[in-house]
Amino acid sequence: MEELMQILEELRPDVDFENETSLIDGGVLDSFDVVALVGELNDAFDIEIKPNHLIPANFNSAKAIMALVEELQDE
Amino acid sequence: METSVLDRIDAAALRYADKVAFKDSERSLTFGEFDRLTKAVGTRLAELVPAGSPVAVMSGRHVYTPACFLGAVRAGCFYAPMDGDMPKKRLNQILSVIKAPVMLVDRAHLEAAQELDFDGELVIAEELFDSPADAELLGEHASALTCFSPLYVIFTSGSTGAPKGVITSHLSLMTYIDSVAKVLDIGEDDVLGNQSPLDYIAAIRDIYLPLSFGAQTYIIPKSEFAAPTVLFDTLNREKITALCWSVAGVELPAKLGGFETGKPEYLKKLCFSGSVISSKYLRVWQDALPDVLYVNQYGPTEATASCTYYVVRDKVNDDTVLPIGKPYDNYRILLLNDDDSPTPCGETGQICVGGPAVTLGYYGNAEATAKAYVQNPLNPNFRELIYKTGDLGSYNENGELMFHGRMDRQVKHLGHRIELGEIEETAKGIEGITDCCALYYKEKELLYLFYTGEATKKDITLYFRANMPAFMVPRKTVQLEKLPALPNGKTDMQALKSMF
Repeated sequence: MEELMQILEELRPDVDFENETSLIDGGVLDSFDVVALVGELNDAFDIEIKPNHLIPANFNSAKAIMALVEELQDE
Repeated sequence: METSVLDRIDAAALRYADKVAFKDSERSLTFGEFDRLTKAVGTRLAELVPAGSPVAVMSGRHVYTPACFLGAVRAGCFYAPMDGDMPKKRLNQILSVIKAPVMLVDRAHLEAAQELDFDGELVIAEELFDSPADAELLGEHASALTCFSPLYVIFTSGSTGAPKGVITSHLSLMTYIDSVAKVLDIGEDDVLGNQSPLDYIAAIRDIYLPLSFGAQTYIIPKSEFAAPTVLFDTLNREKITALCWSVAGVELPAKLGGFETGKPEYLKKLCFSGSVISSKYLRVWQDALPDVLYVNQYGPTEATASCTYYVVRDKVNDDTVLPIGKPYDNYRILLLNDDDSPTPCGETGQICVGGPAVTLGYYGNAEATAKAYVQNPLNPNFRELIYKTGDLGSYNENGELMFHGRMDRQVKHLGHRIELGEIEETAKGIEGITDCCALYYKEKELLYLFYTGEATKKDITLYFRANMPAFMVPRKTVQLEKLPALPNGKTDMQALKSMF
């Protein structure tokens, strides 16, 4: 989780990732943030995020992103 | 000949009264309803301000926004669209240039509008929708229009640190729309999928192709661009046939692997513009959708969106450099050397544009206008304005125009045009930055800021986020002891580029 928070903080230091629960639906992260984030996550956690994982529910909060990362690491 | 775009709305309302013109994820407007809304909005505006006034419009990504734009036109006025999600400072800069006596705002942006430095009349759009139209008053105001009248003012990055407002006439807009419609063969059966923000130049196709040819535009929710499966589901559910997107928008679903799980089944034409497309991603589209018409467009806001086009005939490979092609109907292109002499065939010169799509200049900025909009130096006999784009081009052996980048420090980033000088001027306003240089790492699409001083990366990002549009926030900031210098004292940009 710490590593993820670091990546998010680096990507968008202006966002409160601890508490924000509507990162995508609320338009906090735009599509270009998501593209950058997917690249970083794939590299950092050695996973492959596929297009069908790219749904708002998986990216609306840091917790949701962490859950996705863990799920993909288990595969 | 048509006097203004109002002629087109009138004609469409008669011919396609019950056909849907604009649709978003929550509602839709028929041409008849659209027409009625523009008249309701226009009547109220006509009561408030004289014909020929600028009307600022701050309204979100929904079907009512085009109705607000054209409502201003019904009042014989022109509109200046503003993106309410932009930082306050940027919006205030725009307001200080346009000096609009009235601002039309949707309820969602009312609070934001109230915080701006605006001393004109603030009008809530939704409150006007049911008001009756005054045909006589509207007729009086519309009679002030000629096809040379301004239709809209759209703001773009300026190198001195303040945005420039490009004024476009009805004539320029109609010239472009008719020409692009011919190339894309747009008709009443087409459904366009809007990607561009509605306040941005690229949206003029999505707004005016329906009003001119009876097509429909579906305004795609912004969040769907981060989710290609959702995006493609939408394109298929809405049976979207034509997309006029920024290159950045076209590359997104290819980058995110969207075609691994599906494709837009109904798509027939895709035109893209804004920057040079990556062959790799265009090939992904071509492989999935070989029968789609692909059109590469080139052109600045000052020449009404796009001035040349190239129909992609063959599948591209990694080495393909797409031409920007030939001029649209009613556009004239010439290449000039630095000394204003004509560039010989095959050599590289500055791309200059002539014809009715050359816009009316920068609003309230005669100095910048006089620099870029000039008498054609090759014509000593009569008045002929051309716009000097600052872009370099040459003709290939097939007589097609090739694009060779900028003469200055303007870059294209995520579909937006940015003056690196404006990034630097902004950064210099941050406490703790002594000196700085902004550069663009094109291959990785990253905006860099190299700086000296005590400021932290976080300080800088927070300041930019609070003051500039998101696409102008440097993704990478690099703190240095001092900036590398050339013998003449200027910053050594090549040395900085080696630090990417």
